[in-house]
Parts: sequence; C-alpha cells; structure tokens
Amino acid sequence: MRAVNPVCKFIGLLTTTFVLAGCHDPVLNLSAFCLSIILILFSHVKIKSLLLMLSPVLLFAVGMFFTGFCFSAEGSMPVSEKTMIFASSAFWNGMTQASRVLAYAGIGYLFALTTDQIFLVRSFQKQLRLPQIFAYGLLAAWGILPHMMQEYKRTKAAFLARGIRTFPVSPALLGPLLVKSVRWSEELAIAMESKGFSGNETRTDFHPVRVQWYDWLFLGICLSLSLMAIVFL
Amino acid sequence: MSIQFNALQFGYTEKGKPVFSDFSADFEKDRITVLTGVSGCGKSSLLYLAAGIYPHHAGFLTGGCITVEGTRPESLSPKERCRLVGMMFQNPELQFCMDTVENELIFCLENICTPPEAVPDALNQALDFCAIRHLRNRTLLSLSGGERQKVMLACLTALRPKWLLLDEPFANIDNKSARAIAEKLKELHQTYGMGVLAVDHRLDNWLAVADEVRILEDGALLPEIITVDRLKQSPQRPSETTPETLPSTASPTSSEKAPASQSLLESHGIIVPGGSYGPKLPPPAPGEVVLELKDMSLSFGKTEILKNVTVSFRRGLIYAIVGESGCGKSSLFGVLSGLYQYRGSVLLHGKELRKTRKKQCGQMGFVTQNPQDQFVGRTVRQEILTSLKKHPDASRISEEILRSIRLWRYREVSPYLLSQGQQRRLGVAALMAYDCCLLICDEPTYAQDRRSTIAIMDALSRQARERRTALIFSTHDPQLAKDYADEQFRLEGGVLHACSQSGL
Repeated sequence: MRAVNPVCKFIGLLTTTFVLAGCHDPVLNLSAFCLSIILILFSHVKIKSLLLMLSPVLLFAVGMFFTGFCFSAEGSMPVSEKTMIFASSAFWNGMTQASRVLAYAGIGYLFALTTDQIFLVRSFQKQLRLPQIFAYGLLAAWGILPHMMQEYKRTKAAFLARGIRTFPVSPALLGPLLVKSVRWSEELAIAMESKGFSGNETRTDFHPVRVQWYDWLFLGICLSLSLMAIVFL
Repeated sequence: MSIQFNALQFGYTEKGKPVFSDFSADFEKDRITVLTGVSGCGKSSLLYLAAGIYPHHAGFLTGGCITVEGTRPESLSPKERCRLVGMMFQNPELQFCMDTVENELIFCLENICTPPEAVPDALNQALDFCAIRHLRNRTLLSLSGGERQKVMLACLTALRPKWLLLDEPFANIDNKSARAIAEKLKELHQTYGMGVLAVDHRLDNWLAVADEVRILEDGALLPEIITVDRLKQSPQRPSETTPETLPSTASPTSSEKAPASQSLLESHGIIVPGGSYGPKLPPPAPGEVVLELKDMSLSFGKTEILKNVTVSFRRGLIYAIVGESGCGKSSLFGVLSGLYQYRGSVLLHGKELRKTRKKQCGQMGFVTQNPQDQFVGRTVRQEILTSLKKHPDASRISEEILRSIRLWRYREVSPYLLSQGQQRRLGVAALMAYDCCLLICDEPTYAQDRRSTIAIMDALSRQARERRTALIFSTHDPQLAKDYADEQFRLEGGVLHACSQSGL
C-alpha cells in the first residue's frame, strides 16, 4: 500500500467513504473495516501501535452500538424480525452505528498509516497541480509542529511558575505561541529562500512521482467496489 | 574579488534613525573575516544585506549599494542568488523544510536545477565532505544542534556558492562541533576558494581558522584590522582549560597583561577569551538551605539525562552551573520548572516539589534564555501586576518598578514589541517583584555582548545579594562562572560535580 500513488489512494478511499455514508449495511461496513486492517497489516505497520490506535475507536464503536441499540426507531430500519430472526431491529441498528465508526476509522488509518507525507505532498503537486510554494510550505510547517508542542509546554510551565492557572488551549497560552510561530515562519522562509527555493521558478525533480499501472488498478478496484455497493444495496 | 558596501544607507523604518547612514567597507575573498561588535550594532543586518535577504524581507535601502563579486545580490532571483552567497543561520532548528538529511540535500540540489542523474554524486560528495554520511537517513528532528549545523554546511557545500555568510553559527551548539565546522569552513575556503564572512560576538571558536577580526560600532567599521595571530598570544584560553585546572586564587586581571588588540576588543564590548568581567559584588551571606536535590534522576525514554544529582542551595549565595550545550543544563531546570517528571526527590523548603508546586509558586523565579518565553501579560504593566497580585498597593509599586527600569512610557505596549535589552530588564524586574527566595536563570547572557553580559549579571547578582535570594545560573562561559559565582558546578554526562569554592 505504501507504493500506491497518494493521489490515487486519496481519491479511491474518499469515494469509498462517500458511498459508505449512503449505505446502512453493517456487513458492508464491517467488510470495509476488515479489508482496511488487512491492507494495513500487509504494509508493515507494527501490530502493537495499530492496536493502540484502534483501542479508542473500538471503545467509541461500542458506545455507538449501545446508542443505536437503545434509541432505535422500531420498524424504520430496512430489516425486521421476520427477515432476520436472530437479531432484533434494535440490535441491527446498533450494529449499523458501530460498524460505521469502524469502517471510517479503518479507511482513515489505512490512508494515514501507509502514506509518507513527503510522497503525499509531492504527488499532490505533480498530479493535482498544487503550487510548489504551497507544497513545500506545507512540508516546512510540518517540521515546525514538534517545536510548537515543546513551546506550548514551555509556555504552560512559565505561566504556572508565575502563579497563573491555565486550562488547555486557553487564549492566554495561545498568544505567545502565535507571536512565536509568525517569527518562526519568517525565519524558515528566509532559510528556504537562501537555499535557492522560490515559488515560481522551475526546479528539477530527482524522483518524479508517476502514476503506475498498480495505481490505476487500485483506483479501479475502489471505484468498482463502490459502484457495486450502490447498485446492489 | 570581494563583497563591497558602497555609501550604504539602510534603516528598519523609513523615517526613523537609520542603522547605516554612510557605510562603506570591503571584504576580500582570500581572507576569512570575522565581524564582531556589541548586540544591536548592525552586524547581522550587514550580513543579511550582503545575502540579498534585506531589503526584500525587512528594512529600507535608501542609498548606496552592495556588490558581491560585482553583482548586486538583491537584484537576483533566489535560485541565482544561492550560487553567489550561501547563508548559515543562528538557529539550527529553523533552517530545514524536509524530513530527512537526504531529502533536504535533494531539495537544495533540485532548487538549483541539478539534472537528476547528477544528484546522487553531488549528494554523496557533500555528505562525505562534511563527514556526515552516517546521518544520511536520519530525520532532522532527531539530530542535535551541532549535527544540524553540519547538515546545513553540507547543504551549502552542495549549493557551492561563491561566498559563505555566517550569522553566529555557533551560538547554539557545543564547542567540539563548532570547532569541527570551523575547520570545514577553512577547507571550503581553501579547496573551492569560497569567501567566508562571519558575524560573531564570541571569538574563541574562530581563533584557529579566521585570518582577521574587524569591529563594527554604531553602524561604522573601525579602521583597525586585528589579525588572529595577535589574539592567540593572549595569556589564557579558558575554553581549553577546565575550571578544575584553573588556579583557585584569582588570576591577575587579563587586561593588565593582555596585548593591545585584546584591550581594543574589550573596550568595544567583545567577549575575548580569557578576559575577566571584573564584577563588584558585596560579600556573600549564606543563609538556610532553600532547595535540596537528593538522588534526582531524569530519563527521556531509555537515555538517562541526569544521574543521581545530589546538591543543596542556600539563600544569599550565587551558584553557577557550567557545561557544554546538550549536557543537561536545560533539562535540570526543566525538572525544577515542572516540565519533566523526575525520580528521586527535590525539596523546596523541605517539601517535595512535585506535591507542592502549585502552592509554592512565586517562591521560585525563572529567567529563561529568551525573555519572551516567560511573558504572561498582554502589556508591560500587566506583566508586573501579575507578580503583585496579592499586594494591596499593586498599582503604585508597579509604577515604581517600571520607572526604575525606564519602561514606564511603554506601560501600555505589548512586551513582545520591546527591544531585546528592554525585554530582558522587564523579565528580571517581573520576577523580582515576587518575594522569591530562589532565582533560576538558564543562560541569562546567551548571545549577549560583553557590555550587556555585565549589565545583566550585575543586576541579577546585586538583587540576589540585597534580598538574600539564592541565585542559580547556567552558562557555557567558564569565566563568567568564575567571576560571579560563590560556588561552581560542572554538569558532565548527566553528573553534577562541585568545582571550586571561593568566598566561603
């Protein structure tokens, strides 16, 4: 999955989520979830970290199940007790809600865990004609994020040392952070410029991002599965 | 061939006082020149002008011109400019836009339109030249400050500009990496004929490589050219002698023995290796123990940063913690300010710090490296009022304090808009408004010139003596520690060693 062109992956998975939004079928949702997990596991993602990331999602899914289970409108669901003997409508409703959470989380993680951010931005630049100033600006901003986190902690400690209690993301904390991030972005822009980067000049491309046959294959599979779901369900 | 400034007129505001009103100078390519001077004298502005960054990004060039090798840098596009002048900046954290060392170098090579087939060779050559092949696939985030500056040097090697401009490149890194980079700069200068012009207020790391030192004062270049050979003759070089080997009795003040060039530098406020700061302090009056660390350890993941630190600090004394960048000084202060979870115990007035932090706020004051890190108020006055929250007569006292530090007329201004020196004064005053018994300063003289170093340290230590506050400061300048501290500690590999005791 890592080698798939990020733009193709993005379009394919986005279409799938739109189709899933229109369907109320737990079987479909669960199979989308399982497929995503299988694909993630094939992409050398550590099982431990995957489980760690899935645990809040599972909790949320259980919550959604009981929400759907307790607050179902009898008879409004596409299945009734006559067709599904083993399951009540309330159970079915709960399953639909829960499986939806799982399906979205699965697809989201599939994209997030198997996509390299540099590959993603370069692919957006090449295939979707994202301006290069925007593309590299995004990458540079990504590099600043860890500094922001560190700075946030430092500001919080400074406030505490002065006897001011703060709550997370309180405006008093964000003020200094804002001032600093403006300054940082300026420094970063100067540094990038002094390395010869500018928004509107031609650059060479060492590893051009191309769309290969397997990218088309992936996009094709996603789109045809979505189409089948729309037609048959 | 050279960098020439010709009757330059430049200022940051269109109508205000200009930084340079009629500046002319000439820097030759065949000599490595270090430009020095007090903070705010305009030395960095000069460099940014030569790099073509100003007046694009800030300031107004109202007259005169700058030429580098006969070309005006501001007239070129970034792509052309980076082949003419390459720049290395002070802050190694904010110079990169990609994730790994390899990608960053590829980014540079792509910018100058290197054909794809030539990229691998150019990449390897740059990595080998800087001896950082082993860092190739590392992420930039995982590198230390010194390693990042080496990567920056590799980028510059790959871009191969005609001139290298360096804006205090060693300010944030340890001496060993600084020396290694300085050596490589000399190699670049000799092998590829790159011109090197550096700006630095500390000269010790340049002594081995630079050819000459020039002084900038109030927007004008002084006529004296100081060759480094003359500086090297100065009697002591503390950066190469550890405090343990220094004689504990006060050495003769270096100005008596120093050669003429050294006293010239000192008189212009430049930190000369070995030059004494000559503080005048009242005698210490040790009081009760304020802060006590017992077997305190700190680890990040599996790496242990601090190992079993056991030490106690008394009221009325001044303590210095010396150590290279990355030895754990900031982490130690991070523990005290509550940034990190520690093992062992830290007792403030005999009570465990992690339990009583919220109740005891205001007892411990922190002066951060960058004064902006400690501002909490929206205006200058609020900054002081925050410290006086419980005081019945807060508004009168805040006025008194602000008048005494000459900031009363800026009382309604945001603290971020003050100049660096003003911010520093405000930062210290805000903490002094508390009745704190312990003041902790993380490199309070970081990137300051000699004159403001003395001003800051005098203010801090005088306050500490008068109020019988325990003052702990960290520095990488052994001379500063020696001159101001009653007790010195050396932090090395996470272990705190007591160095010498004087005045007790």
